[in-house]
Parts: sequence; structure tokens; C-alpha cells
Amino acid sequence: MGKLSVNFNGFELKNPILTASGTYGYANEFDEFIDVSKLGAIVTKAISLYPRAGNKHIRITETEAGMINSIGLENVGIEKFIETKIPELKQNNINYIMNVAGSTIDEYVQVAKKCENEKIKAIELNVSCPNVKSGCLEFGTDENSLYELVSSVRAVYSGFLIIKLTPNVTSIEKLGIAAEKAGANAVSAINTLKGTSINIELINGKYKKTIVQGGYSGKGIKPVAINAISRLYKVINIPIIGIGGIETLDDVLEFFAAGAQAVQIGTSNFTHPNTAERLVEELDEYINKNGFKSLDELKKELRA
Amino acid sequence: MKKIYKAKVNKIEKVSSSSYFIEIECENPVFVEAGQFISIYCNGLTLRRPFSVYSNNDGRIGILFKERGKGTKYIKSLKVGDDIDIAGPFGNSFDIKNKKSLLVGAGIGAAPISYLKTKLDNENIENCFISGFLNKNEIPKGMEIDKICTDDGSFGEKGSVLNYIGVIINEYKPEVIYACGPHIVLKIISELGEKYGIETQVAMEKVMACGIGVCRGCVIDIKKNGKIINATVCKDGPVFKGEEVVWEN
Repeated sequence: MGKLSVNFNGFELKNPILTASGTYGYANEFDEFIDVSKLGAIVTKAISLYPRAGNKHIRITETEAGMINSIGLENVGIEKFIETKIPELKQNNINYIMNVAGSTIDEYVQVAKKCENEKIKAIELNVSCPNVKSGCLEFGTDENSLYELVSSVRAVYSGFLIIKLTPNVTSIEKLGIAAEKAGANAVSAINTLKGTSINIELINGKYKKTIVQGGYSGKGIKPVAINAISRLYKVINIPIIGIGGIETLDDVLEFFAAGAQAVQIGTSNFTHPNTAERLVEELDEYINKNGFKSLDELKKELRA
Repeated sequence: MKKIYKAKVNKIEKVSSSSYFIEIECENPVFVEAGQFISIYCNGLTLRRPFSVYSNNDGRIGILFKERGKGTKYIKSLKVGDDIDIAGPFGNSFDIKNKKSLLVGAGIGAAPISYLKTKLDNENIENCFISGFLNKNEIPKGMEIDKICTDDGSFGEKGSVLNYIGVIINEYKPEVIYACGPHIVLKIISELGEKYGIETQVAMEKVMACGIGVCRGCVIDIKKNGKIINATVCKDGPVFKGEEVVWEN
């Protein structure tokens, strides 16, 4: 293993730079820009039990310091993912974490069982989906429903289980603790913030408004992510994977300082499609230049 | 070849009362099919801005743009010799048929159609290029157009390009129509194509994030084998068969 490697209880990453779900496709799509196999892992687009067509209205808009998306979890479904995308991932030697979405606990469980059968090494649960059986409250905003979801998935899946926490809660600590108690191996934080953009144009004396409501991501959310990770780091013992507006090596160091063991690059993949690869190179250079023996030593210094 | 380039501005000039031409030179020549687009990183903004390619002389990439917002304001501010970060080419391209071709542009949508015309001319395919603009000052300098319409009648025929398209179809009798412009223009051309039994290919536009089909931000509905499915403008398009597009009102 190299100096940058991260070992999460047997789930190994060659470096701590990952790409966030929904920004990187399912497999090797970014090979138009970089060598994807150089990354610690990619997190796939959210996969559900059945294919989903996603939302109809306007799906993306740029905002100050980021963007809002309302894709609606469009995806090919687990069967097609297994059939067509896993071979591509294997063939290109890409380490991956499969992101899972569902609208009932049973849907998550059925997907997790398939992941178990396929020996998928790691999955990340998107728990920001509405639970249709409890008034469409999001699983990840209520500690009891999160506990129930995570323990149900844990019961059928033996691989590395990551819970992607939503920041749209009063106390993210309670959700992190619930995930850990239910048997999660790690949490990733944060998912997008709820956001709305109203674009106003005056056309022939009348206002035309274009409203996009969805998840706000990009560099504007970085302080929210750092806050969430710092708080989680104090109360949970499982690893934290940091996400939120990362663009530069300084951002990565800031996430390590807050308590993250690894990071995911999201929106920045759209702005500069080579961001993740560049960060792997810059982190490697930084560690060597400053004489750190390992990534753990760097993290320790940053947290002292 | 990875599709991201550090490039330089080779030329930038105002070519009409509201549009600009910028030519970009990459380290190595980049060759582009008609209908494909590139995306430009605009200093500090999150989303790259997509532009259809207008010219491609010796592997330099030319685009036409209007100042519409923060992104195009940045591009307009560039000077010859400045660095520019571009990615592409992305998307499919016009499926060039060796048939009598009618080319229709409207406003800035004339840019990819003009590039298509140079390709057809190179292949000696008979074609007629009609384009509409608001007024004569809006016609880009140097663009070779066979028939021009202006909304105010200050040059060529008075009125929208849509007012003439029916007449031209009847007189010119094209076997294929290629078009780019506002949604309504593409919709009506597609409907006319179906009415007269003429193949239509339309280049669409939509706000994009990734440019390679992964974020699913730019999907439209299309009809395929009797089913309505999602298609990304960036990867499955930007060129679609007119009859396949489910037109929004």
C-alpha cells in the first residue's frame, strides 16, 4: 500500500480522494477527462430497485457559489447496473462504492441483498429520500427511522456500509449516533442542503419567474460541511467521509482537520472535470514535500 | 485524447450589434463535427458554458455568442492571447445526408448551421441556408447566408423565418432540413417536416452541468419505439430527429 492509502476495516482505498454520487456517472464515464482508476474510489449514481425516470421540471440551475439540482434520482436500476456497469468497473480497475436510494425500507433491503450476492465491497445509503410509508418524511431526518433503515440493511449486507447524512436536521450528531448504533461502518457528510432559486426576468412588462427547488451543492456549502463533520467527530467512533464544496488541496486539509478520513469531490467535477485526479497528485506531492510518512501522520498533525 | 484543454484566445471581435466571435487555439488542433459543442470555464462560475461550434479552421475552434449573463460577460472580456479553459468536443453531430438540404438558423442558432453549411459545401451537397434575425444590424459579419429574414424588414424578407419556411419548402423542395434556433422555431420546423414527409434534424439547447451525460441535468423527452424516454441534450443530442422530440408548449 502506498503512503496515501486508507484502510477502513478491510475496505481499502489507494488514496482518500473519492467522487460524490450523482456527479460521476456509474463507472468509467470520466475517462474522457482523467484516468479514473487513479482515484480512491468513485461513488456511483444512486441506484434503486427499479429504474427511475427522474423529475420533469427544470433540473439544474447555477447559484452563487454553487448550483441547485433536482434530478429526482434518475437511474438505470440495480439489475442493469449489475449487468452492464459492474463489468465496466472491473475491466477498468475502478474501485467503487455503490450508492443506494429507496422509498421504503424493503426497497433498500432488496437492493442490499443483491449487493451482498454480487459481493459489492461497499455501499453508501442515500437517506435523504422520502419514506413513503411514514408521510414522506426523509429517512435521514429522524433518528428512529434512520436506525430502523440502517439495521435492516445491516442484517442482509456484510460489506462496508456507509450512511450519507443529510445536513437538513437540527442535530446531525443524533443521526450519526443512530447510524453507528445500527451497525454502519462509516458515515459520509454532507448531502446537499435544501435550496430554492427564483430567477426573475422582466419580459414585455411582465415578470417571468423560473423556480428551481432542490439540493444546493458547491463551494457555498463547505462551512456547513466542516461544521457537521467537526460535530460528528466528537460523538461517533466510525470513520467520516467528508463532502461539501471541495475544490482545492487546502479544502481537503480542512476536511481532514475537522475529522474526515477521506473526502468526496462533487460539484467541482462539473467545473473542472479533472479536479479529483489533480487532488490525488497534489496531496501526494504535499505529503512528500513536508516529510510525512503516511496520510495518518498528516491527519494526526492537522487534528492536534 | 482527454477532452480538456488549456488554450489561448486567438481572435475575439464584435461581429454584429449584439454578437461576438471568438477563436480559440489549443495546443494541438481539435477537430469538431457540425452540431457538436464545447464548454468554457468562466472564471469563478460553477457551471461551464456550452457553445455550438461555428468554425474549425486548422483545428482552431470558433464560436459565436451574445452577452446574456455572467458567463458570456466573462468571455466577452477576454483579449487575444489570454488563457481560456475549454473542454470538448461533446455531443453527437448532424447526420449529414447526401440529399438536397435546407438549412435553417434563427438568431445565434445560425452559428452551428453555418458550420454545417461549410461541411455540405465541401462535400458538394446542394443546400440552401436561410436565417432570421431581429434586424440587419444583428446579422453576423462574414456569415454566408443564402436567404435572410429580419423581423423589422431592414434586410431581406420582413418577418420571422417561420413565415417563409412553408414557401421555401414548396419551392425549393428539400429532402432534409437541418435547424437550430429558439424552441418554437425547431418545433414548427419539425411539424412541417412531418407534414411534408421531410426528414428534420434539430440542434437543441439546455442548461448543462457535466456535458457528458452523467448528471442527467439536461434531459428532454423523446419518442423511441413507441415509448417516451429521457435523452440528454449533451450526450444523446444536441441534434435530434425532429419527429422524435416531445415538444413542450
